[in-house]
Amino acid sequence: MAEARTNTEDYLRMYRQMVRIRTFEDNANQLYLSAKMPGLTHMYSGEEAVAVGICEALKVADKITSTHRGHGHCVAKGAAFREMFCELLGKEEGYCRGKGGSMHIADQSNGNLGANAIVGGSMGIATGSAFTARMLGRDDVTVCFFGDGATAQGLMYEVMNMAALWKLPVIYACENNGYSEYTRTDEIAAGSITARAEAFGIEAHQVDGQDVLAVNALTQDLVARARRGEGPFFIELMTYRYHGHHVGDINREYYRAKAEEQEWKETRDPITRFRGWLVEEGIASEDEIEAMNEEIRADAKAAVDYALAAKYPDTSEVDMHVYKGVTHALA
Amino acid sequence: MPHEVIMPALGMAQDSGLIVAWHKAAGDAVAAGDVLFEVETDKATMEVEAQVAGFLARVRAAAGDSVPVGEVIAVIGDSAEEESPPEAAPEPDALPEGHGVIMPALGMAQDSGLIVAWHKAPGDAVAAADVLFEVETDKSTVEVEAGADGYVAALLAEAGQEAPVGEVIAVITADKPEAPQQRSRSAGATPDAASASASASAAKVPGNTPVKAPEARAPAPTDGRILASPKARRLALEQGLDLQRLVEEGHPQPYHAADIEVLKSLGPSKVAAPVAAAQTRRLTADLPEDGFAAFATWARDGVGLDDAQALLAGLAAAGLGRDRATVAVEAQGDRQVYAVPHGPLSAIDRADAAPDLILRDLRLSRIASVALGAEDAPVLTLTPAGDGLTITLECSADQLDATAALTLLSEFAGRMEQPLRHLL
Amino acid sequence: MREITLSQAVNEALAEEMRRDETVFIIGEDVAEAGTPFKVLSGLVEEFGTARVVDTPIAEPGFMGLAVGAAMTGTRPVVDLMFGDFLFLVMDQLCNQAAKTHYMSGGKLTVPLVLRTNLGATRRSAAQHSQSLHALVAHIPGLKVALPSSALEAKGLLKTAIRDDNPVVIFEDKLMYNDKAPVPEGEVLIPFGQANVKREGRDITLIGTSSMVQVCEAAAGILSAEGIEAEVIDPRTIVPLDEATLLASARKTSRVIVVDEGHQSYGITGEIAARINERAFYHLDAPVLRMGAMDVPVPFSPALEDITVPTPEGVAENARRLVRGEMIHAA
Repeated sequence: MAEARTNTEDYLRMYRQMVRIRTFEDNANQLYLSAKMPGLTHMYSGEEAVAVGICEALKVADKITSTHRGHGHCVAKGAAFREMFCELLGKEEGYCRGKGGSMHIADQSNGNLGANAIVGGSMGIATGSAFTARMLGRDDVTVCFFGDGATAQGLMYEVMNMAALWKLPVIYACENNGYSEYTRTDEIAAGSITARAEAFGIEAHQVDGQDVLAVNALTQDLVARARRGEGPFFIELMTYRYHGHHVGDINREYYRAKAEEQEWKETRDPITRFRGWLVEEGIASEDEIEAMNEEIRADAKAAVDYALAAKYPDTSEVDMHVYKGVTHALA
Repeated sequence: MPHEVIMPALGMAQDSGLIVAWHKAAGDAVAAGDVLFEVETDKATMEVEAQVAGFLARVRAAAGDSVPVGEVIAVIGDSAEEESPPEAAPEPDALPEGHGVIMPALGMAQDSGLIVAWHKAPGDAVAAADVLFEVETDKSTVEVEAGADGYVAALLAEAGQEAPVGEVIAVITADKPEAPQQRSRSAGATPDAASASASASAAKVPGNTPVKAPEARAPAPTDGRILASPKARRLALEQGLDLQRLVEEGHPQPYHAADIEVLKSLGPSKVAAPVAAAQTRRLTADLPEDGFAAFATWARDGVGLDDAQALLAGLAAAGLGRDRATVAVEAQGDRQVYAVPHGPLSAIDRADAAPDLILRDLRLSRIASVALGAEDAPVLTLTPAGDGLTITLECSADQLDATAALTLLSEFAGRMEQPLRHLL
Repeated sequence: MREITLSQAVNEALAEEMRRDETVFIIGEDVAEAGTPFKVLSGLVEEFGTARVVDTPIAEPGFMGLAVGAAMTGTRPVVDLMFGDFLFLVMDQLCNQAAKTHYMSGGKLTVPLVLRTNLGATRRSAAQHSQSLHALVAHIPGLKVALPSSALEAKGLLKTAIRDDNPVVIFEDKLMYNDKAPVPEGEVLIPFGQANVKREGRDITLIGTSSMVQVCEAAAGILSAEGIEAEVIDPRTIVPLDEATLLASARKTSRVIVVDEGHQSYGITGEIAARINERAFYHLDAPVLRMGAMDVPVPFSPALEDITVPTPEGVAENARRLVRGEMIHAA
């Protein structure tokens, strides 16, 4: 654990954001299991310290690109429960007016350029966002979230090459949760993941993705350096997903043992560990933390209830937003 | 073997190069690598080097000329002496200049014509109105005139060969040719057959058309449907016209908007409309006794009327209630037409006109009943039935209305049963 | 009026737009000092520098993805894809990312990007450098597709494309770069979705795209000498398509041939023919004919390549047969 610092508010916000992600996912899972949610979704539970540790090191104007397992990034970058649940349920008040759903939530007001349902599909976008910052003289940094599975995509190597050539302010954040969909990572990734970036001369780090303070401290440093034109950087965050690849991936013992899941939950849970540290350091009492958890649960319930009752978009919206500047593309 | 100096293709989308300057002149000795000339392309000026050593010769393009890429602009030869350009190969295929006689397009859908015979030989003097050759098209054999005065300088196809319409097949010159030519189309010497070599330039060369060879305009099987374009159908509908009229006239399908003008010029249908034609009347009358035989005997022996068929015609015509009727009587393969005026049976005479009524006498046959459908005129058929007979009337609805049909059959049946009673 | 080449027209359009809007930049392989293999971009790097005329590694998906992200964050990239055939390499970034981002985000994100590439056979470049693939992208909602038929359109459509807030793909015919046409000095903007009636006629309508407009005009010349007056129409953009002008002409002449250099099957010709069939059926006096490129990979040998694309003679012959009322295909 990193040294205790004096910024109590920052620590409490990090804790709060991690609990918000976990609570959001618990509700999303329930919505899916109770057949109230269309489509499917991928749970971020277990990886909260990665999204929160990184996003707490970013300004609102900094950009992120997200993945199919993107709720955590979205919450961590500042999104509201109500619009998120509305989007998950395909409602008009969702972040994307119900047109994107779980895998495409974008919240550009908070710098979230959107989740992407193509594995590795957003690596170009993140690099391009960094290119804009450099070309227009902005000091934004862009973080590209992707999983260990996406390291198998060729696009990553093409854009890391360009980012390194042009020293773009982008941080490639590889969330290594040990599994590429239903396959162990060591079965799909030869050699070292960080060495992939190092081959391009990109400074690469590996960090415990269950330790929010460690993730945050590293990111603070890299973001500051990226703003100074020292980028790009690469981080491999060692983490774990508690659920299957997607919500319906229940019987998964053929690729992952229950005992392994149990061990990560009991000994390496990022929220439990950080909560213990907060109490130990006297930053918050158990009661205060319980009150915070309860408040978040109530927030989530209210948002879910609101979203369930919210209206679907009018069917006339089906051909809207195909083209900017054209109200109805098929009119 | 002299080495050819070629305008190089230097740009990605370059068709030609402008020669800025020659660095060597004809007759100069050059070494491989010497700059020969400068060329300006779309983007840049470049120096072009000699590829081999020798002497520059036959410089065909000057500074300031724009030359298509790939074209030979000079050669590098083995000696300083200007090599004479190869003898301009006498083009054996060169045609004499004169009036070209083309294979005419004579038929509607004719692609080519078969030359049946030439009436003139190469070197012959011809006048414009002289028959030059005979051509067989899809329809007929036609004699074609020369079209110009002069001499036959060349015949480009032989009798028995086909030539596409529009192709020049003979040349007539004003002056007597020194070497009149007779060629065969298969020699590949006709202008159209000259093979176009594929150009290596970047220009879009119009290639062979990807269009399939024109199909002959053969009427497609229609299965009773009328083939017409959507526009032709719409125009016909809007103007209350029936495309069936074009079918009746034998106008070739498919119909297009232009055919609607033809349709408008046609009068109303001469053929019964299919719907009306479908309404055929068939009535029968059964007579227990045939009274006609006795009547015929009486007429022959008593009043000298010995044509029994004329008597039948008279009895039948009476039922039509007309002043004058023409009746055809058919019996045992024989057909006789009678003009039957209103009046005595003796006034009946033979005639040669379309009948108003047909009487078909099958009393000596084994046919018991007929249902042959309507014909050009109402038909009364007599068939045997024991000692008596059956009379069947068949006609279309527009030949006789129901009342007239009933009247005709009733009257005739009555007369056949008791001819004398009706006569008196 | 002055005449300039299509290549110069593209160059002018880019230079003018880059002077007008500092967020416009060019990115692609060998676009800077080399000015592309076709030399279309020569001189631009001298004026705008390597920060705005950006040479990339040979990594089409990479720079395409980068451009999408750049466009989403405030710049207007003009991507140079050296050959239209390379579209297959960038399909995910173009069709899954650029085309869908505005829709999936419920209209929040925009991708004002131009992809300049080319089409056209008979350059003896064989099957991987000769394709005309505009139908592929025209199939994807969210993309606009322009097909300039001369230097004038090349300039006017490109400038409009750069100012459009949507991803636009422009296909220049690589054989026309040196073709000159009158282009007025000063501002030239050609709106999308406005077809150009190049020649009026009463007997048949020839709809041509890109270089096939020239083919149709040449065919109209041949036909005119025979007393057949063909109307020639250049749609200029196929997405959006100026249906009204095409339908009005079809209703007027009652016969239509659609000529396009893409493969005939499942292509632009079929789409336009179907729309005319659906909406002008009762005005048609002949079947609407498609004339596309032969459904074979483009062959190398000139003897083979030349017969794969529509020619003026071929168009004229089909037009003649339609006007004569011949049964082109057995009924």
